[in-house]
Amino acid sequence: MPHGISPEPLFGGQPVLDFKSGVSRRSFLRGAAVVGVGSSLALGGLTSLASPAGAATMGSGGSDDASDIDILNYALTLEYLESDFYDRGLAAGILSGRDLELVAPIAVHEAAHVEALLATLQSLGETPVSKPNFQYPDGTFGDRDTFLGTAQRFEEFGVSAYHGQVAKVDNYDILAAAASIAGVESRHAAILSQLTGRRPFPGPFEYPAPMSVILQAAGGFIAGGA
Amino acid sequence: MAITRRSLAKGAAVAIPAVVAVNMLGTKFLGAQSGDFEDDIDVLNYALTLEYLEAEFYRQGNGAGLLEGLEAEYLSQVGADENVHVYSLKSVIQTLGADPVDPPCVDFGPAFGSRESFLETAYVFENLGVQAYLGAAGFITDKSILQAAAGIYGVEARHAAVIGNLLDKPAEGGVYMGAFETPLPRSEVLAAATPFLGGDNCKIALS
Repeated sequence: MPHGISPEPLFGGQPVLDFKSGVSRRSFLRGAAVVGVGSSLALGGLTSLASPAGAATMGSGGSDDASDIDILNYALTLEYLESDFYDRGLAAGILSGRDLELVAPIAVHEAAHVEALLATLQSLGETPVSKPNFQYPDGTFGDRDTFLGTAQRFEEFGVSAYHGQVAKVDNYDILAAAASIAGVESRHAAILSQLTGRRPFPGPFEYPAPMSVILQAAGGFIAGGA
Repeated sequence: MAITRRSLAKGAAVAIPAVVAVNMLGTKFLGAQSGDFEDDIDVLNYALTLEYLEAEFYRQGNGAGLLEGLEAEYLSQVGADENVHVYSLKSVIQTLGADPVDPPCVDFGPAFGSRESFLETAYVFENLGVQAYLGAAGFITDKSILQAAAGIYGVEARHAAVIGNLLDKPAEGGVYMGAFETPLPRSEVLAAATPFLGGDNCKIALS
C-alpha cells in the first residue's frame, strides 16, 4: 500500500461529529458538494493508486471550486476533531511513560492549529465554522491500543487531507501556514505508527487525498449526514 | 487574490491584511529570503542536491552494519525513500528540459563510527531537509511540482520524528519541533550542509 490510509472507515463509520447548526455543517460540506462527495471513489479504490504520479493526479484533479476559505474551514473542522479527540484520550488517563510523553504534545499542537486557523479566518473577515459536537464509539478511549490505533489512522487522514489541498490553495501565505501544520501532522502520523507497530514510512511521498475521499470517510461520523 | 511567487520573492505587498501574516505564526514562506531561488528548476536542483546528500549518507550508513532489527528496517526504508526522491527530482528536471545538477562530493567524517553518531547525523539531515523544503516551497510556481515537493517534505518530517524517537529525544523540541514547522532560507541550509561537502577525502554521491 503506497500510503497510510486504511480502507476502513474511521471510528467504525459511527457518527462522531455533530454540527450545532445546519449552516456550519453546510459550510464544512460546501467543499464536498463541489467535488462531488459520494459520487465516486470508494476508499478501497485508493489502494490501487500505487504510483506517486497517480496520487498527484488524484490530489490535484477534480474541481478547483473550493475557495481558500472553504479549505481553511475544512482544515479547521478536522483540527477541531483532532483536538477534541486527544483531549478526551488524555483525560481518560490510559497512557503512561513514553506513550504519554509522545502523545501529550500532540494535543497541544492540535489546539494550536485550531487557534491559528480560527485567527486566520477571522483576520480575513470570515466567520469560521463553529465547533461541532463530537461523539465517539464506546471504548475508543477505553484502552491504550484502541486510542492510539484510532489516533494513528486519524493522523494519516489528516496528513492526506492537507496534502490533497496543496495544489488548490491560491494564497501563498495560507499555503505556508497549512504546510507548516502539515509537516507536524506527518510527524504525529509517523510516531503513532511507530507506537502501534504500523509502518511509519508508508511511501516516499505523502498521499494527497481529495476532499471527496476524506469527507466520504468522515461522512460516517458527521451526525445528521450530508 | 492569488499571490504570485514573484511578488513574494520580491517582498511586494501581499493582498491580505497584515494581521493575517502575524497570525500565521511567523511560519510564512518568507522565512526564505528574497531572491533565494530564480525559478522552479532552481528549487528542484537545490532539493536534488540535498537528496543526493541524504541518499549517499544512508547508502554508506546502512552499509556500515551499525543497526539491528526494527531500527535497521526503519533506516533502510528511510534510505529507500531518499533514493526515490533523487530519482523523481532528476526525472522531473529532465522532463522540464533542464539539466539536473551533478551529484555532490560528500564526506561524512566520523558519522559512521557508532549507532549514535549515525542516527544523530541522520537526525540533523532530516530536520534540515524539512526546513529546507518549507523554505523553498514558496518559490515554486508549478502546482504539480509543489504537490510533489510537499509530498517529499512530509516524508522528511516523518523520518526526522522517528529518528528522534529512536534516539530517545525529548518529545517536544526533539521528536516534534513545535506545533508548526519552521522554514530555513537557502543560505542557512547550505551553511549547515557545507561541512559534509567537498574536502580531500570526499566521494561523489551515487546518481
